[in-house]
Amino acid sequence: MFTPDTNDQLIIGGRAFNSRLMVGTGKYTSFEVMRDSIAASGAEIVTVSIRRVEINAPGHAGILDALDLTAFQLLPNTAGCRTTEEAVRVAKLARAMTETDWVKLEVIPDAKYLLPDPVETLRAAEILVGEGFTVLPYIPADPVLARRLAEVGCATVMPLASPIGSGRGILTRANLEIIIEEATVPVVVDAGLGVPSEAAACFEMGADAVLVNTGLAEARDPVRMAAAFRDAVKAGRTAYLAGRMPVRSHASASSPTRGVVRNPEPEVPV
Amino acid sequence: MQLNGQHYPYRTGLTLHAIIADLGLRHDAIVVMHRDDVYKRGKIPDVPLEQNDVIEIVRMMQGG
Repeated sequence: MFTPDTNDQLIIGGRAFNSRLMVGTGKYTSFEVMRDSIAASGAEIVTVSIRRVEINAPGHAGILDALDLTAFQLLPNTAGCRTTEEAVRVAKLARAMTETDWVKLEVIPDAKYLLPDPVETLRAAEILVGEGFTVLPYIPADPVLARRLAEVGCATVMPLASPIGSGRGILTRANLEIIIEEATVPVVVDAGLGVPSEAAACFEMGADAVLVNTGLAEARDPVRMAAAFRDAVKAGRTAYLAGRMPVRSHASASSPTRGVVRNPEPEVPV
Repeated sequence: MQLNGQHYPYRTGLTLHAIIADLGLRHDAIVVMHRDDVYKRGKIPDVPLEQNDVIEIVRMMQGG
């Protein structure tokens, strides 16, 4: 009988996790749906953002009261930052807010496709690593950049499958494969995953984790979809550990080729 | 003075805690950056402010 490998943990920044699915907290219709979806996903690493309070309408405490901060490894992002300077500042604010040194580094000058700036991301990563942060950079699926970020001490790399929130799935497969093959740090495929099969495919390729937000939040039933992603992540990872069959250009019969009950002279030659 | 990128009316004797009270914010829900200092959630000192100060007050929000 097959028993799951309980030692197959995701290790990031010296911490071990049983779930390889990271989830975002954005775009949910309510905090209740968000909480239920996170619970259904089984995720242990949860992203949040840092924003200015509104001076004219300060409102409530944001997401703070809606999340059990002790139950998750918070991963604050630097979303919205366009330069190294902005990202470093937000990372420091995030650390003071969350009391974790983890940061999902995003430096994105382009609002239409939300594609990260590789040069500024590398600069910011070097500074933040130097200041003691555990840096998880969101990057284009560029194997050279991924290697450079690992070399400067990033805890992971987070290459994109397709643009944030696009739901277009894995458009960067060839480069993701190279990044995974060459990786010296965990590879977290982030952004663009719309359905569970795409998450499973990332793991079958050898990814260490995936991060999903919009794929859950914009599903008709986010809680149910979170459970589906949870199962797909497990399936994909288990399949990767099992090792896939070889791909052939021709058929290979599954039933015995000898002893077939045939007419002496078949009408159709085989 | 400037607060979160906007002009904020300075008054003599204004402190960080006074601004937080003005805005009706909870100390344990915000982080403050004043000049180059970042004050942790729930551990914000009552710093006296000056007319040219630049302050950022942030909170945690949803995000991906």
